[in-house]
Amino acid sequence: MLLIPAIDLKDGKCVRLRQGKMEDDTVFSDDPVAMAGRWVEIGCQRLHLVDLNGAFEGKPMNADVIHAIAEAYPDVPIQVGGGIRSEDTITTYLDAGVSYVIIGTKAVTDPHFISDICAGFPGHIIVGLDAKDGKVAVDGWSKVSKHDVIDMAQRFEEDGVEAIVYTDISRDGMMQGVNIDATVKLAQAIHIPVIASGGITNLDDIKALKAVEDEGIMGAITGRAIYEGTLDLAEAQAWVNSQES
Amino acid sequence: MPEIAVVDYGMGNLRSVAKALEYVAEGQNVVVTSEADVIENADRVVFPGQGAARDCMQELVDRKLADVVLKAAQEKPFLGICMGMQVLLSHSEENNGVDCLGLYGGDVHFFGKELKNEQGEKLKIPHMGWNGVHHKKNHILWHGIDDGSRFYFVHSYYIDPEDASIVEATTQYGFEFVSAIGRDNVFAVQFHPEKSAQDGLQLLKNFSKWNGQ
Repeated sequence: MLLIPAIDLKDGKCVRLRQGKMEDDTVFSDDPVAMAGRWVEIGCQRLHLVDLNGAFEGKPMNADVIHAIAEAYPDVPIQVGGGIRSEDTITTYLDAGVSYVIIGTKAVTDPHFISDICAGFPGHIIVGLDAKDGKVAVDGWSKVSKHDVIDMAQRFEEDGVEAIVYTDISRDGMMQGVNIDATVKLAQAIHIPVIASGGITNLDDIKALKAVEDEGIMGAITGRAIYEGTLDLAEAQAWVNSQES
Repeated sequence: MPEIAVVDYGMGNLRSVAKALEYVAEGQNVVVTSEADVIENADRVVFPGQGAARDCMQELVDRKLADVVLKAAQEKPFLGICMGMQVLLSHSEENNGVDCLGLYGGDVHFFGKELKNEQGEKLKIPHMGWNGVHHKKNHILWHGIDDGSRFYFVHSYYIDPEDASIVEATTQYGFEFVSAIGRDNVFAVQFHPEKSAQDGLQLLKNFSKWNGQ
């Protein structure tokens, strides 16, 4: 299972939001490239970068920082989300060395977009579904849609996406533990891997996810917990490694 | 109703495999079981597996399933998945060496910590994610699946069978390793068809219709 540290970018800085609210942010570093270096150094096998300004604006707003991180750590696969709503943006990110782009809102509001880009950029498309009570949320979580998260995930599976990043938004940034049941339920309903996100607080959450890994849980994205120190990512990575070989 | 038995020997939750089979195997009963007689009476057997080789072998022996699995592999359509393929070989170097079922001669090796791709970049272990599966033969279980199609992998060890004629497919990860084998009524894969989207489901569907020839 991949442990994937999140670097959320707002105005070029590494921050965390509480419950997805732009005004409720905490700055953890002014130097996101150095922050990425810290996670790479302890052996992380993938980085999760989020362009928060981009997510709200609907276009890339922190691309310079993302390109700099991709250039600095070419050996570590990077997935990027936030504000990716056109093929040009995807081309630019992939050319810069990003491995995967995560499509969120646009996947929900324009489902044909996903089938088009899966054909155009095979192997590089991940869909991010933010959900509350089984329903998909869009636009930086300000709206909860009528779409059932499992129905949508099944549709994207048919389109050919690499994986689904599943974020339980009632938990994200709140460090209340992972919604294991909802994550497993989704993983069981689809035939592509799920990356769990939201609510990871400590090593117990990692262990709980690892225990259900064979349901198709490919990885776990963790943010606030590693910045506030309730989860020691080096220790967690060592624990995961000890389980895998 | 024909029955597909998914062998449950305590190595991982098998609901994903069972659900995928239920989805594609029309008119067949899918049972997750550790009962010897259910496996013996089933029309087809799926042998999955996760975790460490030593634990897998220990569980098979403790549950008196080793012989049952070997017998099934000699008699009826049989699909090994991931660890369920690795333990078909004679020996694994995992956990300082473990004797396995020995249906096929050969060893299971660790990828190594210093694995590199053609560009000299270090590759991560476990090998995890989607990768191309290149057919070596025209096996009927590849029906409807393009050569080079991508499947989902999670593993740190790979098989090295003595008999090259059983190799059905290979995959590139630092080097070309064996990602599928087959002989007579047995087919076994390193990847997870139940997590490999449409191509994975196609493989399971092909298996559900296969008479083992």
